[in-house]
Amino acid sequence: MNKWLRLSLAHGAFIVAFIAVWEFASASKLLDPTFFGRPSGIAAFLWRGFVSERTLWNDLFYTVLAATIAFWAGSIAAVLVGLLFAMLPRLHKACEPYLTLLNAMPRIALAPLFLLWFGLGIGSKIAVAVSLTFFIVLSSTVAGIRGVNSDHLVLSRALGATPGQIFFKVTLPSAVPIIFSGLRLGLVYALLGVVGAELLAAEHGLGQVLAYLQSTFDMDGVMALLFLLAMLGLSITFIMNWLERRLLVWQ
Amino acid sequence: MNDATSIKPAAGRPSSGAPAIEARDLVMRFGAGGPSPVLAVDHVSFALAPGEFVSLIGPSGCGKTTILNLLTGLLHETHEGQLHVLGKPPREGNPDIAYMLARDSLLPWRTTLANAAYGMEIRGVPKQERETRARDLLKQVGLGDFADKYPKALSHGMRQRCALARTFALDSPVLLMDEPFGALDAQTKLTLEDVLMNLWSTHRKTVVFVTHDLAEAIALSDRVIVMSARPGRIVADVPIDLPRPRSVRKLQSDHRFHDLYAQLWGLLEQGATGDE
Repeated sequence: MNKWLRLSLAHGAFIVAFIAVWEFASASKLLDPTFFGRPSGIAAFLWRGFVSERTLWNDLFYTVLAATIAFWAGSIAAVLVGLLFAMLPRLHKACEPYLTLLNAMPRIALAPLFLLWFGLGIGSKIAVAVSLTFFIVLSSTVAGIRGVNSDHLVLSRALGATPGQIFFKVTLPSAVPIIFSGLRLGLVYALLGVVGAELLAAEHGLGQVLAYLQSTFDMDGVMALLFLLAMLGLSITFIMNWLERRLLVWQ
Repeated sequence: MNDATSIKPAAGRPSSGAPAIEARDLVMRFGAGGPSPVLAVDHVSFALAPGEFVSLIGPSGCGKTTILNLLTGLLHETHEGQLHVLGKPPREGNPDIAYMLARDSLLPWRTTLANAAYGMEIRGVPKQERETRARDLLKQVGLGDFADKYPKALSHGMRQRCALARTFALDSPVLLMDEPFGALDAQTKLTLEDVLMNLWSTHRKTVVFVTHDLAEAIALSDRVIVMSARPGRIVADVPIDLPRPRSVRKLQSDHRFHDLYAQLWGLLEQGATGDE
């Protein structure tokens, strides 16, 4: 506890010093605030956005909503397809080259296409994010199911387990940790896909706000948005860590 | 020292006639029909009376595990000759059989209790009953206080104790064990052998015990079947007339144990070099 306190004090001191140096450098024009913003300006921007004018809440909501929908849709589809592949290895083999091709493509390049198909609303960014999340979760599901311990299968077969029993009592639980690490990445990528699509074009969303602030040279705003996105990513990691500890106590 | 209270070896008991396990002229070729079939088991015949504890011993590749896998029905390749478990040909998932492997194969996401109950769960024993039986067996193997722990918290020896509990909880009349203590250190092995002896004396089962450890085979068995190197043939079938109940630890300093060891070692050496 004492060690933890000392460590957080050290980090706190570093962050305060970093901000102070940045603020001083901007005030004295050592660092051009037109390109780097300044901490006081960033704080003021966030205050207006979330407290006094409250304009950012709406965009934050759209981004989080789109990422959440994309994560669930992409992950559920991917786990289901992964399980289907486990049951039908020949189908998996037939689909594999196409999946590899799609997975090799930089998915963000699909955004212009999806914008045409699904418009400027929430649909197009969900589509981009799903295209990222789906493949990551699919490959981890397949890897997890393949990684099942053969001793467990031999034992279960000798006991007379049915294919269904083997699947639900052995294969699936043994795949859960690897599927989970895929889900963790999938959620990060869902956010990436949503923000990426918003940067290109969208009605609402943090990515769209970021693109607008950049085009109007509002560096305080750009920095504030980057900080916000980093915080969003960090909270995703915290949530997933917490879930993992709860769900995988046996590890 | 324990002669006065000992019971007779199982081999000497009057058997009910029909053998629990019987192999007659068993021949097994791997890759039969292919360009280079390998003869793994060559005209092997043996029989186990109900309640008998028999070890199959021989150099690696002598086909002892093959015979065990044929008995479990896990090996789907065809064999020649007769093979019967309680009068029936082997089949995968036979409820008359409990099978134990060298590695504990505990499911890491299950607690010790749930692992001990796993076999019963697969075989459809009602929840209440399997929990009671699993707890009882865990107590018998000395894991009573570890029912709620996950396998990662257990030592190798404890994990194999749990596997023993899982095997005996099935209450199948026939136990097939494939080097169950092969991966343990010498001290833990002796302890686990005694745990097995205690379990076996309470739940008399017919046991086929595959091992390459001669001392282990002698200490546990009513009979030791010595096999030769590939192709596996039976070199000798030696009754072990050490009194029961046995303590594997105490046997280590028993001269009769060592006499049998020397006798069987000679046979094993013969088989290993193929000089019959």
